[in-house]
Amino acid sequence: MKTNNRFAQLRSVPMPLFQKTMAFGACLAALACTPAFAQNNNTVFVGLYSVYYHVNADDVSGPFTPPGLNADVNNVETLYLAYVRRLSTHFQAELTAGVPPQTDTIARGPAFVGSVPYNGQTIGHVSWFAPTALLHYVFFDDSARWRPYVGVGVNFTHFFDREINAAGQAVFGGPTRISLTNSVGPAVSLGLRYEPQEHWKVIASVNAARVKSDLTADTAGITRRTTVDFRPIAIVFAMGYSF
Amino acid sequence: MRIVKTVFLTALAALALAACGGGSTGASTNGSAQPGTLIYSPPLRSASVNATDFGASLGATAAGQQLLAVAGQPKCGIDFYYYQYQTVGGKNEQATASGVIMVPTGSTAGCSGALPILLYTHGTMTTRSYNLGNPSDTTNEAWTTADGGSEGPIISAMFAAQGYIVVASNYAGYDSSTLPYHPYLIGDQQAKDVINSLTAARTALKGGLSGASDNGKLFITGHSEGGYVTMATYRAMLAAKMPVTAVAPTSGAFDLEAFGDASVLGEVTLASPINFTFVIGAYQTVYGDIYASPTDVFSATYATGIGSLLPGAYTGSQLIGTGKVPQTALFSSTPTGLAPLDTLTAGITAASPLAALGFGNPYLINNSVRIAYAADAFANPDHGLHAVPPFGGFAPWSSFVSPPDFSVAAATPSYPLRAHLHQNDLRATAWAPATPVLMCAGHDDPEVPYAPDTGLFSQFWAPYLSTVPFGGVPNNLVTVLDVDPDTTASGIQQTIATLAATAFATALATHASPTQMAADVQAAVIGNFATHFNFTGPTPVPIDPQGLLVAALAGVAAQVVVTEYAAGVTSPATMGQEVLLGTSEFYHFPSTQVACDAAVRGFFAPLSGVAP
Repeated sequence: MKTNNRFAQLRSVPMPLFQKTMAFGACLAALACTPAFAQNNNTVFVGLYSVYYHVNADDVSGPFTPPGLNADVNNVETLYLAYVRRLSTHFQAELTAGVPPQTDTIARGPAFVGSVPYNGQTIGHVSWFAPTALLHYVFFDDSARWRPYVGVGVNFTHFFDREINAAGQAVFGGPTRISLTNSVGPAVSLGLRYEPQEHWKVIASVNAARVKSDLTADTAGITRRTTVDFRPIAIVFAMGYSF
Repeated sequence: MRIVKTVFLTALAALALAACGGGSTGASTNGSAQPGTLIYSPPLRSASVNATDFGASLGATAAGQQLLAVAGQPKCGIDFYYYQYQTVGGKNEQATASGVIMVPTGSTAGCSGALPILLYTHGTMTTRSYNLGNPSDTTNEAWTTADGGSEGPIISAMFAAQGYIVVASNYAGYDSSTLPYHPYLIGDQQAKDVINSLTAARTALKGGLSGASDNGKLFITGHSEGGYVTMATYRAMLAAKMPVTAVAPTSGAFDLEAFGDASVLGEVTLASPINFTFVIGAYQTVYGDIYASPTDVFSATYATGIGSLLPGAYTGSQLIGTGKVPQTALFSSTPTGLAPLDTLTAGITAASPLAALGFGNPYLINNSVRIAYAADAFANPDHGLHAVPPFGGFAPWSSFVSPPDFSVAAATPSYPLRAHLHQNDLRATAWAPATPVLMCAGHDDPEVPYAPDTGLFSQFWAPYLSTVPFGGVPNNLVTVLDVDPDTTASGIQQTIATLAATAFATALATHASPTQMAADVQAAVIGNFATHFNFTGPTPVPIDPQGLLVAALAGVAAQVVVTEYAAGVTSPATMGQEVLLGTSEFYHFPSTQVACDAAVRGFFAPLSGVAP
């Protein structure tokens, strides 16, 4: 297997810790390093995806809905998965698809609706699959071990596994079917890539996307709606393997 | 490539999950059009309130405090379920309608488990959006705190919070109903609609609503249009041999033909323009023979769009305020030229300032209608009118020497509007009560007059009347309660107006504060009806339904005095006039309803086990 061979190759060239540290320091100082490795066109990344939502939702509207009912979602951490294709010295394409996170939906609004607790209650959860395609511009040339990049692209978000729990049913008034429209919106990325060794890359990036969805809740034929602007900011730490 | 594969497999798994969508919710929709079908199960729990919070919310407003004083502190919490069901329209066409199931909750005894059902039938409402199922919407006519309050808070405090499962239809033609009109005062349809609402509610209860269940006891009550509908539903349920424990129609126009006749002949009531617009619109839609063009019936001032005005977008005050219907001028002040009719009208309006308000210009209904209607009323008289002052003194009723029964409707009415009122008159065919009945009303009700309604119907059921005054153990099935304790010829509104004017004059002379003024007015009114109050505590407490009506009207009088004084009225005579109008406006609703509902609770208590 080709991959195994390359791992074997890596193992065959051990680098003393001292040397590694020196190399790291030198690169930090210059933000450019001697081209040490051949360029591989494909990289897959695995890492940590920390998503911070800054939800801005309209108050829920519809029949049987007191004013001022709103909702928030909890932040999540999930597994970051990405595939990056080198297109040229300065351009690369990235397809990101984190393992679909499940986030809790938190009620925001009055403390009680009637005698039913509302504000701060976890009323349900939702999962989403949110692939993002980005075109990165990578600064410096291929010889640099440290390469910042900026990216623009498109985020597609599909919501699934939407569930309203018992507390949510108490608020909505019974078993409730939720639907959220797919969201397609621009995405931007700002990242820094470090390539410590041939085949291996480490990235840290900050990503933002416009994720906006129309939410519809159906309880016993009663339809309520809101539009949720999730405004996610995702911070990524990942390690990649190039081949 | 293994890692790449993993990425794509994860993505695929995510997509596969996505295809499953929202999954099952445990809810179901019944697509059957069979009348009585519950459409969504379980129905929407539109609100949930515990006894403490409900009491606190009522206590937060003056109107709520008055209601609490009558209803008592809530014993139970209430879960409100909004439900939709299949029913029929006035032409037996398929339609849906909606309603509320108020389920008592809480750990207090009598608030959970097997409970009695109280079927409530609501009164005349002009807004199509009327919905008893949405308590948090205080802009809705069913839950408003404006214009004297609304039925939603009354029935939840009086009945649901005390341990009845309250089932109340919004009626076909209201709220989300697919029927584009409301079959107003069409007895057969209204009874079917209420029975369908009960069937669907029972389906919902069987499915489990807040842990309550139906203990099999069924009580029916309703006020005004709801009084009529309660009685029509009772008749239909007895005919279908459905079990009914007891019923209490309050202030209902059971005797539609007599009500129509009395109005046309001159005894015009306060809400007539709206009531007549409503009933004519419904009868035209269902029977189709009232008019070829609205201007055949309605004056050109109001004819445009009037056929579909009710129920619609406007409250009663908006209808009047925007000139959609006149405030009181049902008929033209120009005499009809039909001699006996004009003579009768002149006599009635001379004696009754309220009836006189029914004639003016612009007016709602053309004289041609009055002439044709009255000709039929003279040719085919409603025998009952013989017993309704002042008609007994006029021909043709004065010529009845020994009629078989003064309670019976006309034999063969021919004028279409009158024929349909006859058809829907609950005296039109003989029927008898089979379980306890309480008919409660006030004898000076300016909107649904006592004599041609509760009075006549009591005669219709003369063989079943209990002779034991309300409060004792009835010795027959039907108890009649007049909640108005006034014995003067000019009526309780005039009595209170005079007392208020005098109290106001004294208060002015002593430079009393508005608060003191209000207290003085109330004290004067209550003192005049002292036998209906207990004075041992810090404030007088009504001891019977009559006391409750007096207390309610005294409250209205006090509020009128304070409001009008703030608006600059200082003349006691003017103040008296304002109090007369105010107490007349709030007599039928909510004053009589609240007093009667308290009586209803007392009447049902020995049979339901729910405290009086």
